[in-house]
Amino acid sequence: MAERRTLFWLAIGIAVLVTLPLLVNSSFAMDVLIRILLFSFIGVAWNLMGGYAKQLSLGHAAYFGLGAYTSTLLQIDFDISPWIGMIAGGYVAMLASLPIGWLCFRLRGPYFTIATIATAQALMLIVLKFRDLAWGAEGTTIPNLGSAPLMMQFETKAAYYYVALGLLLIGLLVTYLIERSWMGYYLLAIGEDEDAAEAIGVNAPRIKRNIYLISSFLTALAGTFYTQYIYFIDPATAFSFNISIEAALVSIVGGIGTLWGPVIGTILLETTSTLLQRWLGSSIGGVQLTVYSLILMAVILWRPTGLMGMIGEAWRRYGGSRPARAET
Amino acid sequence: MWETVAQAVINGLLIGGIYALVSIGVTLIFGVVKIVNFAQGEFVMIGMYISFFLSNQFGIDPLLSLLVSMPVLFVAGVLIQHFLIRRVLGPNDMPQIFLTFALSLLLLNLALMLFTANYRTVHTSYSDEALHFLGLYVPVAKLIAFVVAMALSGALFVFLRTTDLGKAMRAAAQNRDVAMLMGINPDRVFCVALGIALALAGAAGSLLMPFYSAYPFVGQVFVLMAFVAVVLGTLGNVIGALIASLMMGIAESLGIQFVGADSGQIVVFSMLLLTLAFKPTGLGGGRAR
Repeated sequence: MAERRTLFWLAIGIAVLVTLPLLVNSSFAMDVLIRILLFSFIGVAWNLMGGYAKQLSLGHAAYFGLGAYTSTLLQIDFDISPWIGMIAGGYVAMLASLPIGWLCFRLRGPYFTIATIATAQALMLIVLKFRDLAWGAEGTTIPNLGSAPLMMQFETKAAYYYVALGLLLIGLLVTYLIERSWMGYYLLAIGEDEDAAEAIGVNAPRIKRNIYLISSFLTALAGTFYTQYIYFIDPATAFSFNISIEAALVSIVGGIGTLWGPVIGTILLETTSTLLQRWLGSSIGGVQLTVYSLILMAVILWRPTGLMGMIGEAWRRYGGSRPARAET
Repeated sequence: MWETVAQAVINGLLIGGIYALVSIGVTLIFGVVKIVNFAQGEFVMIGMYISFFLSNQFGIDPLLSLLVSMPVLFVAGVLIQHFLIRRVLGPNDMPQIFLTFALSLLLLNLALMLFTANYRTVHTSYSDEALHFLGLYVPVAKLIAFVVAMALSGALFVFLRTTDLGKAMRAAAQNRDVAMLMGINPDRVFCVALGIALALAGAAGSLLMPFYSAYPFVGQVFVLMAFVAVVLGTLGNVIGALIASLMMGIAESLGIQFVGADSGQIVVFSMLLLTLAFKPTGLGGGRAR
């Protein structure tokens, strides 16, 4: 019964999301929607590792940047479609996650976090330094081919919206499947107490490596999409520390280690940021991150389970019969 | 040739003294409270802005403003421990990491809003002075900063070794539960540890001001250096952090001299990655967390 009701609401949700671009005709609103879908997707990718296994990375910009640079290099130097480049970027990111993970997983807790920051910054420095390979600090613009769906270039924002929606649905599906597999339970066990998990026979290094592979692959897809969307790439945007921050932030605010947490977190944070920009204008630097950090602090101090935890509580209190699954 | 090397070593050693103040704070907090303070660099930044405004508004020498920045940041540290960090201490890593990380983001972006991204400098009578001997060149402002930094580190060391409060802090660092059984109040000890660590960061800021520019992101430079030094010197080890900071300063300076002016950051990152790869427990041995 419950399964069918979930499917029903899911179908309604997808129908609304698919028809949304037909109803919205402001390009500004479409841009906000695309940002929400994209950052939800990045958050979902981060959440697989940061949320379930509690490996709190602040270096996911490394994979975002690798995805962006791989597809752009393939497109400009070899005329290969970004659709293929996107997958190639995912593989490059997976390959990079092996040595990076080997280094970073030697440390736990806060020092793991610091190591991930350092590796992402180091990658950015490498791209900055080797200007023969990738245009150095100036970056480059993506040649505009007009309407070329095969090269991931579209004339309407609606098309970009559908690509981002597709990515998000893939991310959610992957999370859903992992949540219900043995791997999901292993991840939760590692997240709760890594030593205890190992003691009962969970191969923690292997599970952490595998989830890092998946998480970095997905993050790289977002990098390709973003570059195609803004027609521009440079090390500061592609490897921006803000990407790493936002990936973690949306998940924590929304509900760390939950399927829908990153989506709900992104909706709250992106809406707040858009309203702030409307209200104050974008002239004052630092406003957006000031507000984000205040929201993050409030969540950590008062609601460590995030918005999903609040929704779960409200559901239980106001007579939902279905138990909400938002503990963790 | 030896002069170039010696000069680079001297430059590195002098700036290493400042790194030491920041990393001793990080390692003290880690040792006693068992958290990593991501916001440590932002307190260096606040120390710098305090000295800048005191100098700019009232003409107070940055070195004298140490007497303001250190107490102010000590109180800030006590308040932050009492009202924020105390509430997230526990077995769970996530709130601890992201609370101090959020604090860092908040202070950085508040500074950006209030003071803009402009570089602020203070010019003192001794900013351009330098001592010369054996063909080497020692800037006076950096020398003073180094001497004061070493004096403060020494004072902290004596405090930890000889006073009751200092011994209580070391006891709490070694084993919190047993320390509590011995009648040590951990909340008080933690507050003092945070206070001292932030006061050291504030001191670093004031000491930097005669020869370094203040801007909102300035703390990031120092905090990364401090994190590397703290790992290298074994987590929680004050002497280790001090020695590692001086080494980092020298390594960075040699890198700038022989590899290129923009290689400072690369040296830092490669040292961090090498440490992680080959000696994650630090040069002194001991347990990694």
